Amino acid sequence: MSGEPILQVSELCKSFGNLAALNRVSFHIAPGEILGLIGPNGAGKTTLFNTISGLYHPDGGQVAFKGQSIGGLSPHAICKLGMSRTFQVTQAFEHLSVAEAIRIGAYNRHGERGVEAKVRETVAFFGLEKIQDWKCSDLGLAPLKRVEVARAAATDPELLLLDEAGAGLNASELAELMEMLKTLRRKRDMTLCVVEHVMPMVMGLCERIIVLDYGELIAEGTPEMISKNEKVIEAYLGRRSKR
Amino acid sequence: MRRNSRGSWLLAIALAAVAAALPLAFLRNQYNLILLTTVALYGVLTSAWNIIGGMAGQLDLSAGAYLGLGAYTTATLLLRWNITPWVGMFAGGVVAMGFAFLVGFPLFRFRIREVWYALSSSALVVVLQVVFLLWKQVGGPMERLLPSASFSLYNLRFQSYLPYYYIMLVLLLATLFIAYRIRTRRLGYYLLALGDNEDAAEVLGVDARGSKLKALVIYAFLVGITGGLYACIYGFVHTSFFSPTISMEVAILGIVGGLGIIYGPLLATVILVTGRELLRAGLGGRLQSLYLVIYAVVLILIALLRPRGLASLLGAWRKERR
Amino acid sequence: MIVNILQSVADGALMGCVYALIALGLSLIFGVLNIVNFAHGDFVMLSMYLTFWASTYLSLDAVFTPLITIPLLFGLGVLIYYSIIQKTLRERFVVQVAVTVGLMTFLRAFAQLVWEARPRALKFSIIQGNFPLGPFTVLLSRLISASLSIVAVVAVAMFLKYSWLGRSIRAASDDADAASLMGVNIRWTYAFAFAMGSALTALAGGLLMTFQQVDPTMGLRFGLLSWCILALSGLGSISGLLISGVIVGVAEALTVAYWEPRARSLIVYLIFVVILWLRPRGLFGRK
Ligand SMILES: Nc1ncnc2c1ncn2[C@@H]1O[C@H](COP(=O)(O)OP(=O)(O)OP(=O)(O)O)[C@@H](O)[C@H]1O
Ligand SMILES: [Mg+2]
Repeated sequence: MSGEPILQVSELCKSFGNLAALNRVSFHIAPGEILGLIGPNGAGKTTLFNTISGLYHPDGGQVAFKGQSIGGLSPHAICKLGMSRTFQVTQAFEHLSVAEAIRIGAYNRHGERGVEAKVRETVAFFGLEKIQDWKCSDLGLAPLKRVEVARAAATDPELLLLDEAGAGLNASELAELMEMLKTLRRKRDMTLCVVEHVMPMVMGLCERIIVLDYGELIAEGTPEMISKNEKVIEAYLGRRSKR
Repeated sequence: MRRNSRGSWLLAIALAAVAAALPLAFLRNQYNLILLTTVALYGVLTSAWNIIGGMAGQLDLSAGAYLGLGAYTTATLLLRWNITPWVGMFAGGVVAMGFAFLVGFPLFRFRIREVWYALSSSALVVVLQVVFLLWKQVGGPMERLLPSASFSLYNLRFQSYLPYYYIMLVLLLATLFIAYRIRTRRLGYYLLALGDNEDAAEVLGVDARGSKLKALVIYAFLVGITGGLYACIYGFVHTSFFSPTISMEVAILGIVGGLGIIYGPLLATVILVTGRELLRAGLGGRLQSLYLVIYAVVLILIALLRPRGLASLLGAWRKERR
Repeated sequence: MIVNILQSVADGALMGCVYALIALGLSLIFGVLNIVNFAHGDFVMLSMYLTFWASTYLSLDAVFTPLITIPLLFGLGVLIYYSIIQKTLRERFVVQVAVTVGLMTFLRAFAQLVWEARPRALKFSIIQGNFPLGPFTVLLSRLISASLSIVAVVAVAMFLKYSWLGRSIRAASDDADAASLMGVNIRWTYAFAFAMGSALTALAGGLLMTFQQVDPTMGLRFGLLSWCILALSGLGSISGLLISGVIVGVAEALTVAYWEPRARSLIVYLIFVVILWLRPRGLFGRK
């Protein structure tokens, strides 16, 4: 778990009008780790994911993936390099079935030959056999979230960004999800970066955590260190009194 | 699943055979042959439209542009350099394709709002119409007549509509086959995903611009070829071939047929265009325009009552029977 | 030479004001209901025919026909809203297009049926004649049409800004859900906006008939023209709308005078396409 970072973000900036949603954010992700990204509502976590994955054009700074600069590349090109993501607000393909949605991801690394097998394997891995022929528009929130993880995993990414994949799940669903993510890392050598508000999930899953607040990185460390960090506690609790 | 798909193939082949045998029923009646040819022609246009409009969800209103380009290319090649329309229509397809590329390349750069795509594609038809009106060497305000031999295989000139019908039928089957191939392969899935949610598709490795461009270019090619045939059937080319009305009609038939369903647009075409033409023939004289009034009302009603298209009727019926 | 150019510019600018009036109706419908109305130009065409009809059979001057046609078109707007448009509000974009293109086909075929394909024009209007304006002369009818259009556009802008109804229309256009929470009757507001957008074409149609003829295929031209103006101006800017109308009118007039009369639509649509390629949000747009 050493050597070159798989993702290196330096001095990344992104603003909407005069709101600096990301202000000179720098961090790295090491190959094979599970990195947690936390922060209060509106801290800029989703914006960070959007900028890294190519949906937003960065206003400044660099993003390097496996040593190659990817700032300004389109999302599909970044996906081809081996990075995919899920969305906080689920983005379903309403007219596709679950299996078809996964197929979209599976085509990333497979031609017509291998795609069927990849879809079947992914469906099995995520336990979606029962609902594989359902239309995505008919799914509830929990299965929808799982399909999002499944279709992103089907692209065989080396780095997978998960934006609140656990939000809205009950305890047993959450435990299942955490198991799957751990297996993904172990068996598929995927590196994960998870944004979560659900603290047990962050604490149980991540080896390292970084904290965003008002678009700035305010802390980095192990879960224990973060849970004791004054700045973090203040960011979460003292937000109102501060401003 | 397998058996079902074999059944569909058998049904498709049976229907194609019926279509091929249909003219035998009224060989002597040129009017009916014209009708059949018209329906087949519209069938090609709407089925090709389904690739860009139905699968990729881009509401394209520029069929007339590619139709006109195909027709003028074919006619110009024949009139100036005596190149046979058999070659000319493919050249027309290629020219239409090139033009589509020029249009799509900048337009698909941004995620252009669907209304603006629709409107600009509609405007392009008028732009081309005027360009050919002003372009004296190739177009101009008058019709350009093709060589009027009574029969010439080389010039694709026949005395009867029968050969045209069969050529159009072959083109129709080819178009349906291409649409089917696309639908069941990577490009088709990509287009459907893009039509639903472009961001989600992109982060799964779907090249939005490239996929849409492919769809647009294939559609333009097919419509361009049809344009070449269109010119031969009419025996002339005119700037009215660049018709915004035909372009919109093609799109509407595609929509009321059922977006993205291979046989949907064809189904709508067969029913509605046949009905329209029969109505037109039935209502002579002063009431001529009544057929369009009725046609429009029917289109509106279908769109309101069956927003998923006519094919959804068939789907529901099949489900009930199973 | 310079005088000639200025003459064309003046003619085009006057025409452009009427275009802006037409586009205002469309912008209301598109901005508030978020419906893509392909039939808008055909409402103009219909208004022009109704003007022709009213002035021929009721011996009204074209300038006064709007007194009749505005209520007619308003009523038609309400009717069409409740019978057709309302049902498409929650449908996908393509269904809306299918319906409004159907409506467009219907209106055109209807005009052909009733008035036949021949172009119709009025022989006389009290606002005929020329009007010397410094070094050039303008048609009195155009000058008055343009003035009335500007007055109407400004009046609508004031109405939207200051009246209670206007404010609820704008609220509905910004955020329908929030507006309905605040007690705005969305259905009713939508119907009113659609009818008002249609009624504006009645005024424009009457004005146009004082110096122009009408035929059933004109709808498409006016429709695309007003979409072009809307693309130029973007949504939500009344002065932008007027400026864009004038830009389009002047471009047309210059093309007719110095290049080729038949190329006038070419120039408009080229502006349209280029704007979409370069500035998808319009020149003055807010959203
Ligand atoms: N497309 C946008 N346009 C304008 N402002 C935006 C946009 N997206 C995000 N913002 C703003 O940027 C800031 C950061 O938002 P972001 O969604 O990244 O926060 P977040 O950390 O993901 O919050 P949450 O925990 O609620 O998901 C917020 O103030 C938000 O309002
Ligand atoms: Mg977020």
